[in-house]
Amino acid sequence: MTERISKYQRFKMMNPIIQFFKFIYLSIKIMFIVAGGHGGTRKVN
Amino acid sequence: MSKIVILGAGISGHVAAAHLRRKLPKDHEVVVVSPNSNYQWIPSNIWVGIGRMKSEKILFPLAPLYKKKNIGFKQAKAISFFPEGDKEEQKPYVLSEYVAGDKKGQLEKVTYDYLINATGPKLNFEATEGLIPGTNKTYSVCTYTHADHAWEGLNALIQEMKKGKKAKILIGTGHAKSTCQGAAFEYILNVEHELHRHNVRDMAEITWVANEYKLGDFGMDGMLLSYGGMTMKSSEMVEMVFEDRGIKWITGAAVNKIEDGVAHYENLEGEYKTESYDFAMLIPSFSGHGFKAYDKNENDITEKLFRGFMIVDADYTVKPYEDWSVQDWPETYQNPTYKNIFAPGIAFAPPHSISKPRKSKNGTDITPAPPRTGMPSGITAKIVADNIIDSIKNGKESLNHKGSMGNMGAACIASAGFGMTKGSGVSITTFPIVPDYEKYPKTQGRQLSKTFGEIGLAGHWLKLALHYAFIYKAKMKPFWWLIPE
Repeated sequence: MTERISKYQRFKMMNPIIQFFKFIYLSIKIMFIVAGGHGGTRKVN
Repeated sequence: MSKIVILGAGISGHVAAAHLRRKLPKDHEVVVVSPNSNYQWIPSNIWVGIGRMKSEKILFPLAPLYKKKNIGFKQAKAISFFPEGDKEEQKPYVLSEYVAGDKKGQLEKVTYDYLINATGPKLNFEATEGLIPGTNKTYSVCTYTHADHAWEGLNALIQEMKKGKKAKILIGTGHAKSTCQGAAFEYILNVEHELHRHNVRDMAEITWVANEYKLGDFGMDGMLLSYGGMTMKSSEMVEMVFEDRGIKWITGAAVNKIEDGVAHYENLEGEYKTESYDFAMLIPSFSGHGFKAYDKNENDITEKLFRGFMIVDADYTVKPYEDWSVQDWPETYQNPTYKNIFAPGIAFAPPHSISKPRKSKNGTDITPAPPRTGMPSGITAKIVADNIIDSIKNGKESLNHKGSMGNMGAACIASAGFGMTKGSGVSITTFPIVPDYEKYPKTQGRQLSKTFGEIGLAGHWLKLALHYAFIYKAKMKPFWWLIPE
């Protein structure tokens, strides 16, 4: 096992307070990306 | 009055049925034909497979809901397609066989004005010799019953490890052309997390085996993503997670045979190798259901409807990888020959893979199939439903709603461990799903502001929130339609 994620990074990843705000941020960002529209790719003559 | 028949009640079929029923007046008929009596929220099977969620939590019976919502339901399986009817039946129909109840075994010609084929994939376990869930120490998490069995197998192994047994766990793909690497990725991280929880992590060697050329390919040719203020490749991100968790990996591997505790595979170098294990979860290849189609005179016209999966408005011209384009991908999921037939979700035949095709030195094609599960399934189903609704209301064909996977975003919230305070998730979003190298030439075909990765506890909460939100939506509770696909 190689420690690729530092203790500080791990603290940030698992801290409930930091992660609560991350949860809100991710929810909004993902909503924009997924529900933010889709469409075709072909040009209409 | 129009009659819309939907084959399948998975994510795609159920979404289409729900939107059609909500937006069409009651004099139009919506009928779902599915051999399954339950709706299941497949993404949560991962947690059933590690014993952290009961399968009852991810499913509910369809019949009472459909009755309440005035959606017809036949628990039957489609056998063959007659898009012109036959000599006796003027209307197009699908020949279906009831699989339960008083009518079990009976055949019925289910006529339609519009047909939505949302039959998803056949889990093609037989394409890999010996890959049978529950035998040869291999398991699957593709259905809730498979996931239940997987937990039984894993739990038995954990109990043995607690008594001192050293074990090898193998998780990944079970065929050269499997897809759904994301599900296997979630499962391996969850299993690793659970072994810690049971204090037996030191007793296990965990190995990832997959047909992807590099880690993090996910059948989408990998991606360049923003992570923590940096731009990195998905392969680097997954490698970081695997190394950190002590998970070994084998990539470019076509598993071709399973014996009791031994997986045989061929790699891209053309070497034939084996990997032993005490517990394996390998995703099978997906295939079409082998449906046949006939014209009015009962001549076989299967090639007009199917090439494995259903033919839609994609460009199926065979061309080299360098000439592939996002324009190859379908926009409306309409069959070009029979314009009242549509195939959203996994049921449509993709024009080609998304990942660069690769062959082993022996000529074996080892290329992940393109993923169409989850969000793309729901989005394409809604597009199809909206076009049918417009066509019925306008009295003429309307295809204004379009959604190519080359112009559509998706989120993969991969669980990396269950637990409200100890859990974790790897959240990856990508836009578009199919890389558009013309639009985004410098970022490997993706828009970096919408293609990012995050790791942490919030990912687990997000996955859990999506579980409850999508089951709420599937149950068509008040304002369900406000939740996007």
